[in-house]
Amino acid sequence: MATIKIPEQKVILCGEYGVGKSSLFRRFTNNTFVTATDRQSTLGLDHFDKTYNVGDKSLKLQLWDTGGMERIASITSSYYKFAEAAIIVFSLDNSASFHSLSQHLLDVVTYAESAKIFLCGNKSDLEGEKPQVTDADIETFCEQCHNLISGVYKTSCKLADGIEEMFTDIACHLAESNRSRLELQTMKHHGFKVLPADEQTAEGSCLC
Amino acid sequence: MDEEYDAIVLGTGLKECILSGMLSVSGKKVLHVDRNKYYGGESASICPLDELFSKFGAPPPDESYGRGRDWNVDLIPKFLMANGQLVKLLIHTGVTRYLEFKSVEGSYVYKGGKISKVPVDQKEALASDLMGMFEKRRFRNFLVYVQDYAEQDPRSWKEFDAQNQTMQELYEKFGLDKNTQDFTGHALALYRDDDYLQTAAITTIRRIKLYSDSLARYGKSPYLYPMYGLGELPQGFARLSAIYGGTYMLDKPIDEIVLGEGGRVVGVRSGNEVAKCKQVYCDPSYVPEKVHKKGRVVRCICLLDHPIPNTRDALSTQIIIPQKQLCRNSDIYISVVSFTHQVAAKGWFVAMVSTAVETDEPEMEIRPALDLLGPIKQKFVSVSDYFVPTDNGLESQIFISESFDATTHFETTCLDVLDIFKRGTGEEFDFSKIKHELGEEEQ
Repeated sequence: MATIKIPEQKVILCGEYGVGKSSLFRRFTNNTFVTATDRQSTLGLDHFDKTYNVGDKSLKLQLWDTGGMERIASITSSYYKFAEAAIIVFSLDNSASFHSLSQHLLDVVTYAESAKIFLCGNKSDLEGEKPQVTDADIETFCEQCHNLISGVYKTSCKLADGIEEMFTDIACHLAESNRSRLELQTMKHHGFKVLPADEQTAEGSCLC
Repeated sequence: MDEEYDAIVLGTGLKECILSGMLSVSGKKVLHVDRNKYYGGESASICPLDELFSKFGAPPPDESYGRGRDWNVDLIPKFLMANGQLVKLLIHTGVTRYLEFKSVEGSYVYKGGKISKVPVDQKEALASDLMGMFEKRRFRNFLVYVQDYAEQDPRSWKEFDAQNQTMQELYEKFGLDKNTQDFTGHALALYRDDDYLQTAAITTIRRIKLYSDSLARYGKSPYLYPMYGLGELPQGFARLSAIYGGTYMLDKPIDEIVLGEGGRVVGVRSGNEVAKCKQVYCDPSYVPEKVHKKGRVVRCICLLDHPIPNTRDALSTQIIIPQKQLCRNSDIYISVVSFTHQVAAKGWFVAMVSTAVETDEPEMEIRPALDLLGPIKQKFVSVSDYFVPTDNGLESQIFISESFDATTHFETTCLDVLDIFKRGTGEEFDFSKIKHELGEEEQ
């Protein structure tokens, strides 16, 4: 049976522990929110595919969560490999998480050279009257990064605010950059995934 | 760190990471610690290139080596058998989705000073330059026999009892000469010495089948190699462990493994913190008093700016020099990978020569292998001890892995891991446990 395979775009979540990466991930996967950190419920789940329609094209965003590795140790460099986009998350009510953005940015440009980078200020519901991180702060940061940042979003996982908009916009960005890239690039530089024997024959060996 | 765990794993080498992943998946509370600030220990791939040079005390590389970041050089060279244990583990644990692979392009064997393609099917057997005309036919008959051999079907055994008769007897049944026996045992069945000749033929038949089944899977050779180097493998399993609740700590020196009543492990101390646990899993470097040296392995990393001569410009290849060819007791292995696997800058190749040390001059031992490589731009030689645990860990509940041996594939690695898991948990690893759960989210 001939089916057209929609290319997957690996999108990774980065940022300090506790800024809401897993909450974003949970909103993305099943649109729920939990207040207590109930790690148990996400055990074993670390990436999720979702299809977005951009114009007349379909695009599959594959969102990856860190699995909590950054809590004490560092994230493995392989987490970044093959990423098409990285969402660096900070918390709008926590200026420390904002100040560590540059470190995460450095990690992304080091380990995922070709990834498009997006900035996400989460917990907009906690912003309050006197925000810990102001719009001016964010603007200054983006300027300092010499246009490395492809987009900036504010979200609230608690209120489900701005999240769908963010992912849809990221899908548009990736569709745009893919158009030129896919036409130029041949697939011969890529490897293949190892699959169980039965799937292998059904799908062919190249899944890139 | 001051918590209680079911198991503490020390070291993030491949074996420890697989174990950590298997334990977490089985519902155990795992703390995984490494004294280094990077993942992988001995199984890490070194990046950037400068770090490799400084590790061996060489002056920094000049600009001809391209961008340092494009290099990921393994310290222990190995390939995956496409149908082997590690690939099974990768598939069943779902770790394969973190990785991409490429098929190794060629597999060669050394005979009389030159290299030839390893013949594995009837057609190649008849075309091979390794044997004379009559020997080719005998070898072909042997291959057909092995391919048709079915353990459940006595008719396929052709009056040969592979469970009880030796491999030597099987060779004699087909009238294969010493030379053919040599490359069959070492390049197809991948034995390191000739002890197998006196053991039941069935083991060798299975190994040859593994080789040809692996070859059938992706074509050119039975071997696979991951993009960005072998260092990706431990990281993949570490991630598996983390998403199943495992806690990771890097850059954490371990000062003591704390023993309680009856010499049983009760915890691990770092500075004045103690993490309690029921079991410890670790590599030999964390328990020098509980391992003994069984031998030495010499490994030589060679950086080349050209493919290996006589391999049809293969971008990746394996060459085996059977022991007898050089009057040795153990084979010499050469594995070559290149820029096509994102482990070297454009146009560059990394060749690794390894073998068990037999004399006081390990560098002289690998000389014939180095001669096959053509001009070498840079060479790093290391000799490491091969450690094995002094006991099976059942009493102390400290389970220690063996050092990595000189073989060029992961079959012995996986057997060690599965054996440790069985000793530690009292049961075989249940692959079905994870596959089910991961299946749900993958639609």
